Amino acid sequence: MLISLQRKDRASLEPAQGSFSHHRQHGLRIDGRRTTELRKIRSITSTLSQADGSAYLEHGNTKILAAVYGPREVRSKTNIIHERCYINVEFSMAPFSTTERRRRAKTDKRMLEIAQFVKQSFEPVVLTQIYPRSQVDIYLQILQHDGGILEACINATTLALMDAGVAMEDYVCACTAGWIDKEPALDLNSVEEAQDTSEMTVALLPKSGKIALLQMEARLHVDKLEEVLQLASDGCRQIHTVLDRTIRDRAEDLAHKMPSSS
Amino acid sequence: MPTNLISPAERDYILKGVEANVRADGRQRGDYREVSIETGIISQTSGSARVKIAGGTDMLVSVRAEIGPVLVDSETGDGADKGQIICSVECVPSASQGWEGRGADDVNNELSQIMARILSSGNAMVDSTSTDASSPSATSKPSSTPSSKGGAAGIDLSKLCIIPGRLCWILYIDALILDYGGNIIDALLMGTRAAIFDTQIPKTQLQEFGDGQFDFELQDDTEDMVTIEGRENMPICVTLNKIGARYIVDASPLEELVTEARLTIAVNKYGQVCGLQKSQEGCMEPSLLLEMIQSGKTMGQALIKQLDAKIEAEAATDLSMRMQGKPPQKYGFFAQ
Repeated sequence: MLISLQRKDRASLEPAQGSFSHHRQHGLRIDGRRTTELRKIRSITSTLSQADGSAYLEHGNTKILAAVYGPREVRSKTNIIHERCYINVEFSMAPFSTTERRRRAKTDKRMLEIAQFVKQSFEPVVLTQIYPRSQVDIYLQILQHDGGILEACINATTLALMDAGVAMEDYVCACTAGWIDKEPALDLNSVEEAQDTSEMTVALLPKSGKIALLQMEARLHVDKLEEVLQLASDGCRQIHTVLDRTIRDRAEDLAHKMPSSS
Repeated sequence: MPTNLISPAERDYILKGVEANVRADGRQRGDYREVSIETGIISQTSGSARVKIAGGTDMLVSVRAEIGPVLVDSETGDGADKGQIICSVECVPSASQGWEGRGADDVNNELSQIMARILSSGNAMVDSTSTDASSPSATSKPSSTPSSKGGAAGIDLSKLCIIPGRLCWILYIDALILDYGGNIIDALLMGTRAAIFDTQIPKTQLQEFGDGQFDFELQDDTEDMVTIEGRENMPICVTLNKIGARYIVDASPLEELVTEARLTIAVNKYGQVCGLQKSQEGCMEPSLLLEMIQSGKTMGQALIKQLDAKIEAEAATDLSMRMQGKPPQKYGFFAQ
């Protein structure tokens, strides 16, 4: 009885026996959330000593570390762009990040694709033209994988870029939404993701309301599309308030630590 | 390790400082920085630890126990009744600029090899008839298996065997170096020790069907797990950096750049040396080498004592939290 609590957190990653239906009773989802509820998000910036900017973000059980170096001199001459900076994104997953231990090659297609998506979503938002002939490196490391990797990557990158002091037009906030059991659901976890559910990842610029990234997996009826998109956009706005809080707390903390100029 | 530049002035400052026994951060030559360790923070593994040395170095070590076939040596027939330990170390590019792309491959390989070598140093050294009479604890451990050769760092591999000749537990030790602040190897071995102490594997029950047929049953009871046998015999290591005519422990990144020669000494809690590794391009005199080994041994023993006290204290806190029906509190990356 006593120790059962100890192992509960370890078991929580796997679906409970016999509960393969997405929705449990009372309209609650497999992890006890309502359909329009986000998972708990916790984040902190400046976690690493060497990087110019870094952030650690927990999105439910998905945990990610982001580091930003730069803007700095371009490391390979072929990457020089004369009127703006080059953004380089590297994404990797820890061998212990999933329930099954697996080492992934650096050339894993799925991982390269995620890096590419992150790069594409940030290129229009970072004020690249003020850093000509330079390079910004973004390194992403998944420590625990419980669904919604891309959204976590984008949110963590936003925090890390801000921590590094890279000029940006706006936050980029990402969120997923899907269609489960005749109902739209926000922020899917890995169990919900696994069963061929239609899932949409949206990255939004909260100030202008513009969409920076849109990706969908599996099929969804076109009439339901707008509802899911709306739900995901609402999720992005909620995430924006959380990220904004982290950045502001950090800034206030720094301001307190500064010796007051007399 | 990472490619960083150092100016002649900085180099001179560090050299003179080491000579005068005052280092840039106020430490003396034999002082460690503050090390913080937290275990059980990666929920999907069998055991895990995060080690952070104040001022930078930050890593996660995970242990995952999986069932796999035994590895039998085709020549000697050895290993049929033993489990396995497989180490891998990965340096993340976010830790240092030089580890981007394929840049970390060499370092990853070097660290994995060092770790594997230290962990596979035979536990024949943990011998009750050991010549090391100065440590009374060595003689008061009759439970360790002195005769078993090729054991891994004191870990009793035969206890990890499930069906002799067929199946065993394989412990995958994966380390992720997240941040670089010098002295990675020491932190790595401390983290491994802590993670192995945190590791619990399910019990297995062997069933015999007659005519030489065996199968096993995995006891799915999460309340009744076993710990790794012989874990207290695992070594940790102390890395000494020779700067000028002196040597220091726990070097910072700048001090590592000034280091001429580096000596890594693996030592277990009985004060027995379980491995040596000299690296970097410089040379050292035999007399200094012996002195370094001697002090590395003393420091390592003291360090293991502190480490074990820390791990035990954390395990006790976690247990008391569970007694109250609360999940143990883990800070992870939110620790300040």
